[in-house]
Amino acid sequence: MFSSTRRAALRGTISAVVLMAVQGGFTVAAQAEGVHDTLNGLIAKYSEQAKQEMSNKSVSELFEKDGFRDYLDVYPVGELAEGFVWKPGMGATFTGPYSKLEIKSPFTDYIPLAEGPVLDPNKTYKIGFVFHGFNHPWLISLADTAAWEAARHPNVEIEVIDAEFDDNKMGQVIDTWVAKKYDGIVLWPSREAPMGPPVDRAIDAGIPVVSVDRRTSSEKISSEVLGNFYANGLQEGLYLKEVLQGGNIVLNRKDLGSTADSIRTGAFLEVIGNVDGFNIQGNYHTNSQRQLAFQSTADALQAFNDISVSFNTGGEEAMGALDAIREAKRLNSAPDGKKIVILANDDAKEVLKEITDGNIDMVSPYTPLIGDIGIRAVIKHIGAKEGLNEAPPKLIMTPNLPMITKTKMTIEGVETMTPDEWPYAYGPAVN
Amino acid sequence: MPQPLDWLRHGTWTGFDGFRHMAAIEDKAGAKPSGNRPAWPALPAVGDLSRVAVLIALVTVGQYLYPGFLSAENLRVILTAVAGIGILAFGMTMVVITGEIDLSVAGVAVLSTVVGGLLIATGSPFLIIGAVLLCGLVLGIINGILVAKVGISSLISTLAMLGIAGALANIFSGGQAAYPEKIAEFMWFGRGTVFGVPVPIALFALMALICLFLTRSATFGRRLYATGGNARAAMLSGIRVDRVKIAVFAFCGVCAAVAGLIESARLGYINPAAFPGLELKVLAVTVLGGAALAGGTGSVFGALVAALIIGVINNLLNQMGVSFYMQQVVTALVILVVVMPGMKHRKFVK
Repeated sequence: MFSSTRRAALRGTISAVVLMAVQGGFTVAAQAEGVHDTLNGLIAKYSEQAKQEMSNKSVSELFEKDGFRDYLDVYPVGELAEGFVWKPGMGATFTGPYSKLEIKSPFTDYIPLAEGPVLDPNKTYKIGFVFHGFNHPWLISLADTAAWEAARHPNVEIEVIDAEFDDNKMGQVIDTWVAKKYDGIVLWPSREAPMGPPVDRAIDAGIPVVSVDRRTSSEKISSEVLGNFYANGLQEGLYLKEVLQGGNIVLNRKDLGSTADSIRTGAFLEVIGNVDGFNIQGNYHTNSQRQLAFQSTADALQAFNDISVSFNTGGEEAMGALDAIREAKRLNSAPDGKKIVILANDDAKEVLKEITDGNIDMVSPYTPLIGDIGIRAVIKHIGAKEGLNEAPPKLIMTPNLPMITKTKMTIEGVETMTPDEWPYAYGPAVN
Repeated sequence: MPQPLDWLRHGTWTGFDGFRHMAAIEDKAGAKPSGNRPAWPALPAVGDLSRVAVLIALVTVGQYLYPGFLSAENLRVILTAVAGIGILAFGMTMVVITGEIDLSVAGVAVLSTVVGGLLIATGSPFLIIGAVLLCGLVLGIINGILVAKVGISSLISTLAMLGIAGALANIFSGGQAAYPEKIAEFMWFGRGTVFGVPVPIALFALMALICLFLTRSATFGRRLYATGGNARAAMLSGIRVDRVKIAVFAFCGVCAAVAGLIESARLGYINPAAFPGLELKVLAVTVLGGAALAGGTGSVFGALVAALIIGVINNLLNQMGVSFYMQQVVTALVILVVVMPGMKHRKFVK
């Protein structure tokens, strides 16, 4: 009941956004103030086409079977807050407090907050940041950016807690902060449903709560900083359509039903759904584990001699697939001796290196460097509560980022970046 | 004058009250003082043969569905896939035979490789690989001491070790992966070959031979089964049960380090969050191999066949495009089907 109400509301909002984009006649190039709008235009275009018809039987069967439409229709796609336009090169460079790695964070100018004391300078604001995973480069980078933003403001104290993928622990942490009367809470939830009640309890206690990247089931939540999964899958499809007009595809996907899988894979299928030459040959859920992606790809290579494309929902999957293809010495085993096209998401430094080396063909960035947006948003919510400023919007979209390819390309108005031009990669460097 | 260890040599010692204790061992293990090992130690037991039959059936089905299933390349894929978990299952089988359990294997594998990863900057393969193996050995010995000397249940102590090792791996690495690609000797463990045989497969075979020798042909094997069959009887027979247990935990630690080494080298990266749930997978292979968690029973040959069964199933299901989730269901069902008759037999004997 709760979910359907939420879905209905979001579906209405998204339909309106899509309709506006469609009515705009897909004049993508003309409206391209930034890559965000360009990609949103393409999302609207391919989404609408897929709704009208999906002529590729193999693709449409999978699309129907896994119910991608339900997920895609409720995933927010929209404009950036405060009319922000992101351009490559923007952001700030610093050393991550946790990773100790040099980071260039792309969105530090988004919902900006000047360095120095915030809100009431005579008051100290306590903010809790709870997430999962001090054992994962992506998540450490997320915490890095949150802690960096808090450190820019001398009257902000931040407490960072790793809930270790334990929803109950995350709930308890939030309840503790409510009891301690923290001024604001930012969270990266692992799953939607379990975090709704704790967030609601915090909101009921008058504490602003902002989620980053992933969502909770709370309808009361102050703001949601959302990623760009749709643009990720879309660009994998755009690239593939640009370089191939057909071939057999093996999919390495994340957990069934996860937002990352549903939206990225769904968007990819929408784009290639009307190209009849493609065939889904293998479809594996490798649950973000490189080892499983390695094994499924190794086995698929034995079952099929004519794989043309390895689609990967994440960077871990792409690296696992690449290692398996390399181990089998099958990198150039696509029909006519062509290279197997490897598509990836997540701009880890190791993935970018493989693009430079010509092994992975493209990656659609999904940056973890958004924790700072969450901190700024919650500070502004605290300010709004104290009557010091306007509250930020409830849905804070993060800018869509352009795909990265070995050489510069322009695909349907999207100008790709090369690894050398991309300073925002995360994780440890690979020598 | 009969000596306490005579029965281990001849199986007929009757001094002191040894007969009763030996009878207890026989009772628990099935028929012989050395557990359920057959009269001819060089041959596999009947239970192992039934697993072999299951394996042959699976391979036949695989070859029928996919004519290239038995190709050298596919066999390479299957064997390299199971090499790590197979080696771990050998170590776990030996621990389980003694009546204990080692739930720390995933933590030990992760921490060992992370410690090696921290030394990549030195560029010394000897140091890096040595540190990985030494770490596995030390953690295994600690497990053994906690169980055999301190007297903590292996379920609890190794569970604690799993948590501690995993946490230390994160603390030491700062949660970041390390890349050993430039250390050729390290990468050899995952990507090298020995006379054309991939190193993971060669190591798998070597470890199988060592473990088979230890359990079937050496005095150590008899002590192992005696310890698991009835630890008190074994102790009264003059076996240093504590030393046996420390030895098998140490060996299991080394197996975990070797498995970690193989997998990290195959993937070309050392991940502090690697091997989630590995301990349960290894335990599944061990049980599928015929080891009873009560101790005294089990065989390395059974573990070897069990690892191959799991490898063949996974390969076959992946080739058939069966979903990961359904694969878990099928694998679990196969384990149940294979293990159930053995359980019934043990219940009957009891």
